Amino acid sequence: MKFKTLLVGATALLFASQAAAHNRWFLPSHFNLSNDKGEWVMVDVTASNEAFNVDKPLGAEKMEIVAPDGKSVFPGSSYRGHRKSVVDVYLENDGTYQLKMGGEPKYWTSYKIKGEDKKQWLGNTNKQNRESKLPKGAYDVRTVESSSSIQTYITLNSPSENFAVNNQGLEFVPVTHPSDVAQGEEAKFKFIYNGKPESNVKVEILREGVRYRNDPENVELTTDAKGMISFTLEHAGRYLLIAEFEQEASDNALADDLHGQIFLTFEAVLN
Amino acid sequence: MKVKVLFIMFLWLGGMATSSAAELQLSLTLPSKAGEYHNPYVAVWLEDSSGKSVRTLVLWRERAKWLKDIRRWWRKVGRKDNELVDSITSATRAAGRYQLDFNALDDDKDPLAAGDYVLNVEVVRENGGRGIIKQKFTLNGADQTFTLAANSEMAKSMFTIKGSL
Repeated sequence: MKFKTLLVGATALLFASQAAAHNRWFLPSHFNLSNDKGEWVMVDVTASNEAFNVDKPLGAEKMEIVAPDGKSVFPGSSYRGHRKSVVDVYLENDGTYQLKMGGEPKYWTSYKIKGEDKKQWLGNTNKQNRESKLPKGAYDVRTVESSSSIQTYITLNSPSENFAVNNQGLEFVPVTHPSDVAQGEEAKFKFIYNGKPESNVKVEILREGVRYRNDPENVELTTDAKGMISFTLEHAGRYLLIAEFEQEASDNALADDLHGQIFLTFEAVLN
Repeated sequence: MKVKVLFIMFLWLGGMATSSAAELQLSLTLPSKAGEYHNPYVAVWLEDSSGKSVRTLVLWRERAKWLKDIRRWWRKVGRKDNELVDSITSATRAAGRYQLDFNALDDDKDPLAAGDYVLNVEVVRENGGRGIIKQKFTLNGADQTFTLAANSEMAKSMFTIKGSL
């Protein structure tokens, strides 16, 4: 419970300016395209707890686009409105483009001090450098390694598998290709933490259109020993997958606790 | 002259003997619609019992940009094989009844083995809907006829299998 509060604190700190505790996601205009030349795609970037109704704009400056050949692609243009940012992306070649924002682990150290009820936070502070930064008399000191990313995959013509991972923090590894998730067919995804398959990652899959039904019908899953989840979606449509992992670190020189979060948008194709 | 005819007959029979694949006949009816009408994009293909496509029989399409709208066929077949798409493409057709005949061969022109298959007929129309038929059948040498129920984009159609394996 204590740990949970800590994490909420960390998340709040990270995104306090605009989107405390909101889900964050990309929504591309298309996930799968066909053409004998390149195609433009527009991507919404927002912090919103409603899939897929936009709420607060999220700066898209840090969006990384990896082309099928592994090279970085820069957005054509972008616009930041009051509810969302919009980014133009040109897909020049056949294959799968990965869109990603965030993901690199950051270190946050919390502590308490006499006379202050609230937990205090130090950004960019890990277990090794915290001693010099903490005030005298600090107690209940904990450091969390936290990574959070937003991602999606867009495929022009034949899919490719440019799924490079950094082996840092919580990462998504497709087993079923993200462009090959289809209504009524079993799909498998994998999650790794610092490069190793991670069990006990909590995964929630939200189907679009919650505004227009009473039951959100979220699918809740937990990764197995191989870091895998498998699921079969009854409805075609767009989905937001939220993966979250939190655990006490057992063998980590920089942190006492580990936290990772991924927001992945994908579609289940009509079958 | 007579000898020549006999010789041709002989060749023809010989040809029959080596490619003794069953015949597949699809009598496909695209219904006419009131108002704005764009010819539908149509794909007809066979999947084996594991859901893998073994033969695309028909692809009626115009611009590549809209191929993705033939959802199932595009995901499972079209996007993975550009050459196949080019080799089977023909222009879209208006509402009407079409008699389409094929040998039961796979994409490599080899006869299909006996076994279970699914005939898929996917019809998608701009500013219209999508209809898909998945008709299971078993290739076992027997003559068979299936009535394909109508959907929003396809009128009642017939699928017939003739001849031995």
